[in-house]
Amino acid sequence: MATQIDPALIKGLTIGLGAIGPAIGVGLIGAAVVGAVGRNPEIQGKILSTAFIMIGLVDAVLAFVLLILFTT
Amino acid sequence: MLIPFFANVAEPLAAEKLFNIGPLPFTNTMLYGLIAAISVLSLFGLGAKASQLWPKSRLAFWVESFVELVLNLMTESFGDRKKALRFFPLLICLFVFILAGNLSGLLPGVGSLTLNVNGQHTSLLRAFTTDLNSTLAMAVVSLTTVHVYALRELGLIGRIRHYFAGNLLNPMNIFIGLNEVFGEVLRLVTLSLRLFGVIYGGEALVHAISALAGNFGWAATLPIMFLEIFFSIVQAYLFMMLTATYLVMATSHDGQGSEAARRSAPAKA
Repeated sequence: MATQIDPALIKGLTIGLGAIGPAIGVGLIGAAVVGAVGRNPEIQGKILSTAFIMIGLVDAVLAFVLLILFTT
Repeated sequence: MLIPFFANVAEPLAAEKLFNIGPLPFTNTMLYGLIAAISVLSLFGLGAKASQLWPKSRLAFWVESFVELVLNLMTESFGDRKKALRFFPLLICLFVFILAGNLSGLLPGVGSLTLNVNGQHTSLLRAFTTDLNSTLAMAVVSLTTVHVYALRELGLIGRIRHYFAGNLLNPMNIFIGLNEVFGEVLRLVTLSLRLFGVIYGGEALVHAISALAGNFGWAATLPIMFLEIFFSIVQAYLFMMLTATYLVMATSHDGQGSEAARRSAPAKA
């Protein structure tokens, strides 16, 4: 079974499948942040700074996907 | 091969060698890192020199406001201004230098200025954080600081008990401790690879988008540039905050607040 697979297909699958997880993660963080700010708006700055940390942590996964995508 | 240009356009994964200093290769990321470090040092040095009780120069005002902002952030996360001031130089150094390294990759001429090295065109400048060696070095520095201060604060036994807590005859506690130690090693990998991956992936993204857009590359890369600026700030902030969080976690006594830690510290000394 030595089928030739187009590398473009693999690249498309990489970004397509790899973007699912971070997208869900960022969506969950966004929903939680909106809920938290709605509940207590007076500590909005604190919540947002924590949210940016979390978004940075989640986006790193997408960055690894991009890294693999562009370097192979 | 449908899309051959992705591989051609993106810069190579490893930093390119410009020349040798003895047995050590000098790469383009090292050159640009030196330039970034010197510019950051001179900017903050000028700001510190012009600093007064009533700052007249605008630079001093902005530098002081920025430092005050970061110090307040650190005070909030350490919960103690004295403790925050002890680790503050390392943390703000990491933040400013990483931010300068990240943003310097977006300046014009960074990838396009080339140097002829052994008949090959290598780019003269390359952003400092797009090299895994440099991010790994910064992660090693920050994690070494964390461990040194944790050992100084808790002692060797306390440090080991930090991982292997509870009754050690229970195999579950040993398993949890081993997992914690593994996580500690993994911190080094994630801390360095996250920064490198985001910045390098972003630069490759800019290249790929400009190649895809053809003649309209100047317009198509503009939103990606804004995304890059956002990611640069977030990643620099994240590196600093994660180092601060590790420091807080490692130097705090388990099950005791910072209040109790402060009260027990003079008794030990």
